[in-house]
Amino acid sequence: MDSETATISADGHGGHPAPTSFWRKYIFSVDHKVIGIQFLFTSLFFALIGGALAMLIRTQLAWPFREVPGFFPTSGGVMLPEAYIAMVTMHGTIMIFFVIIPILSGAFGNFLIPLMIGARDMAFPRLNMYSYWIMVPAFLVMLAAFFVEGGTAAAGWTSYPPLSALADMVPGSGMGQTLWIVSLLLVGTSSLMGAINYITTIVLMRAKGLTTFRLPLTIWALFITAILVLLATPVLTSALILLLLDRGMGTHFFLPDGGGNPILWQHLFWFYSHPAVYIMILPAMGITSDVISTFARKPLFGYRPMVYSIMAIAGLGFIVWGHHMFVSGMSPVLGVTFMTSTMMIALPSAIKTFNWLGTLWGGNIHFTSAMLNAIAFVAMFIIGGLTGVFAAATPVDIFIHDTHWIVGHIHYVLFGGSLFGVFAGLYYWFPKMFGRMMDERLGKIHFALTFITFNLVFFPMFILGASGMPRRLADPYQYEFLAPLQGLNQFMTYSAFVLFLSQLILIGNFAWSLFRGRQAAANPWQANTLEWATTSPPPHDNFETIPVVYRGAYEYASPLIAEDYLPQHRWLDGATPTTVPQPAGD
Amino acid sequence: MSGTMSVGAVREHPLPEGTEQPFPGLSTEKFAVWLFLASEVMFFAGLIVAYLTIRYSSPSWPVVSEVLNVPLVAANTFILIVSSVTMVLAFDRAERGEAQFRYFLLATAVLGTIFVTIQAVEWAELMGEGIHISTNLFGATFYTLTGFHGAHVSGGVIWVLIVTIKAFRGRYAKNPLGVELVGLYWHFVDVVWIILFTILYLI
Amino acid sequence: MATTDHKQRRPYLQVFAALTVLTAIEVGVAALAIDKTVQIVVLLALAAAKATLVALFFMHLRYDHHILAIIGGFPLLLVVIMIVILMADRVSSGQ
Repeated sequence: MDSETATISADGHGGHPAPTSFWRKYIFSVDHKVIGIQFLFTSLFFALIGGALAMLIRTQLAWPFREVPGFFPTSGGVMLPEAYIAMVTMHGTIMIFFVIIPILSGAFGNFLIPLMIGARDMAFPRLNMYSYWIMVPAFLVMLAAFFVEGGTAAAGWTSYPPLSALADMVPGSGMGQTLWIVSLLLVGTSSLMGAINYITTIVLMRAKGLTTFRLPLTIWALFITAILVLLATPVLTSALILLLLDRGMGTHFFLPDGGGNPILWQHLFWFYSHPAVYIMILPAMGITSDVISTFARKPLFGYRPMVYSIMAIAGLGFIVWGHHMFVSGMSPVLGVTFMTSTMMIALPSAIKTFNWLGTLWGGNIHFTSAMLNAIAFVAMFIIGGLTGVFAAATPVDIFIHDTHWIVGHIHYVLFGGSLFGVFAGLYYWFPKMFGRMMDERLGKIHFALTFITFNLVFFPMFILGASGMPRRLADPYQYEFLAPLQGLNQFMTYSAFVLFLSQLILIGNFAWSLFRGRQAAANPWQANTLEWATTSPPPHDNFETIPVVYRGAYEYASPLIAEDYLPQHRWLDGATPTTVPQPAGD
Repeated sequence: MSGTMSVGAVREHPLPEGTEQPFPGLSTEKFAVWLFLASEVMFFAGLIVAYLTIRYSSPSWPVVSEVLNVPLVAANTFILIVSSVTMVLAFDRAERGEAQFRYFLLATAVLGTIFVTIQAVEWAELMGEGIHISTNLFGATFYTLTGFHGAHVSGGVIWVLIVTIKAFRGRYAKNPLGVELVGLYWHFVDVVWIILFTILYLI
Repeated sequence: MATTDHKQRRPYLQVFAALTVLTAIEVGVAALAIDKTVQIVVLLALAAAKATLVALFFMHLRYDHHILAIIGGFPLLLVVIMIVILMADRVSSGQ
């Protein structure tokens, strides 16, 4: 068998000899931990860019067409409407494809999966390396668009044709839009490689005793997310290719004047992009479950319903995409089917929410930075989810579609949800990744500032949306009925500046702790899952001896022992660890 | 609360190291190839759905039996089916340790090349009649679907050739997994053509 | 990798014969002047039969663990949903 694919070493757990050269150790590494950290650093870098773009957007909405020092030299420092729509396009695109998805799936997925399942590496370490390195041309192509003539794509992150299909609509419609498409094709390829690796690894490389219903929720979430990635991303790929053909080969798939239909793009795009939002939230839900259980020192409430709820959210997520298209001229009958399926997703989401609350209830709660962020996830996700229910109701959506209501909803689930989940994961697993502790006090300050300013920026968006303020509009106040909203927008902008600056605390804490943080023990949080059964950071092949698993991941406050945590791999004499694994297919 | 868990503590348990085996005998590579094929199904689905919706909401569409060279392509379809047979025979013989499997692999690559060549001839014929990808939606959907399928066949031919070369170097004598994997991909490409032939040329 | 009964002769040549015959029937049916809807249904059924034969026998789904059939088959469910919804939208929205 090829040595490249002979990743299953003698003990059946994968693994490969430790690299020696600098290039092999840190740059072209096949080690999932290094690759995960590579994804982490590049995602954090892009988060700063995406955040800076957000500051520009907020500036425009507070003071439309006022000079912005240092920017927009060709228009005297003024952000023209065509520049504004380029800003919103790139903000959305970067945050979705270069921050949230790579950090949850690429960084946490890569780093955690082999460790949490007791494997030495992924099933295909070389494929893993390629999945990171194909992101590099994707990054460069996307960034290059800022410097080409006409600038970046400006058709929204949703890239609807005809605007996106014709090369002479707005400045960004030329090379910028083409580069955007090419970049996303590369990102999609990376995602697919990762999905194949993750699914194979989680299904086939678990340690002995780690049966399906003993997996931690972080792994369940990453697993189901990978299935979403596997099946939804190729449809986006097909849509992007058809768009490229319309742009460059004279076809008219989406162009009405050749018999084509722009709504076809919307269907194909949203068939991917709706599952994409679950790709962005499910891993954060998994992380939240694990963090909350650990710091409440209590078993996760309702483990099986939590698992089935993740499956239900993902499964339903494939049949709701039309709720992004209620205003596209869709027949009301079809609208009703999409409305119904969308409303149904509230059910498993609610089960999860109540189960997080149930986990907290009566717990011995430790308010660490990780825990604060995880609890905030639950609260903000509730708001984001509930505002989504408004949008799910077709008659209501007719009014709030494409207003700032939707922008508020998006940011409550993606920032209030996913990003707080990312923060929780960072504070929780930083010790395992880097062998040092982050500063808890700075963590709490970061949390407090972020939480408060986040709500100040985004909650008013529901007021703006209900008042009729459209999104992607460079100067809403040209409409008399919206002019009174400028003051609120200015307040939001000031809050946004503080929100952005507050992230520097996290970056500072992160950077400082990398070099000067307190040395971390193997299991500083006294948690149960397998990644804590090895050193911080783990050795090259993860475990001295592959653990054997005797129980689920949530045995906190177990009556069997004095300690309030009972790791999955710990042998208990005289107790009844179920060493007999459950039958295959469980 | 007691202190940190000692990392080497797991040594004392009596059970052997190993992995959970939910599907005994199933290799990670084969599992992964099937996952890849699932993603390819979705890719072609996007293109096929685009074709179907475009065609069935178009006010008019050419009569395909008049525009397309159905006999030629029917023969080409047969050639691709034969290549699937040679491929599965290659794997069958490789599993039995019979060295002739290498020639079945070679035959598969040859037949695949013939398929793409005949497709190119068909394309040239059509373009000679003035039907290009940009001519109308019929052209757009036809060339896109057959083009991406042809690209997949071409990629498959390259993969088969690589496996053939390795086979002639004695590679799969002990373990024919590599032959099985390329076979799965090849059959998949055949299945896609079975669908495309029907919906592009016959309906 | 070893399949359960790999020593047994598999029906590859019979499947090949069936595929050839089905293809010939398909081409024949396509040339008939019959009701369009019936023709489409028959042709799709024939294509589905051919695809199933290749999947079951050439791709070994008949002999392997059924998880592989689930992996290959689940996307088909999504494809059906996509086709139904998109066609319904085209038909009902008058575009």
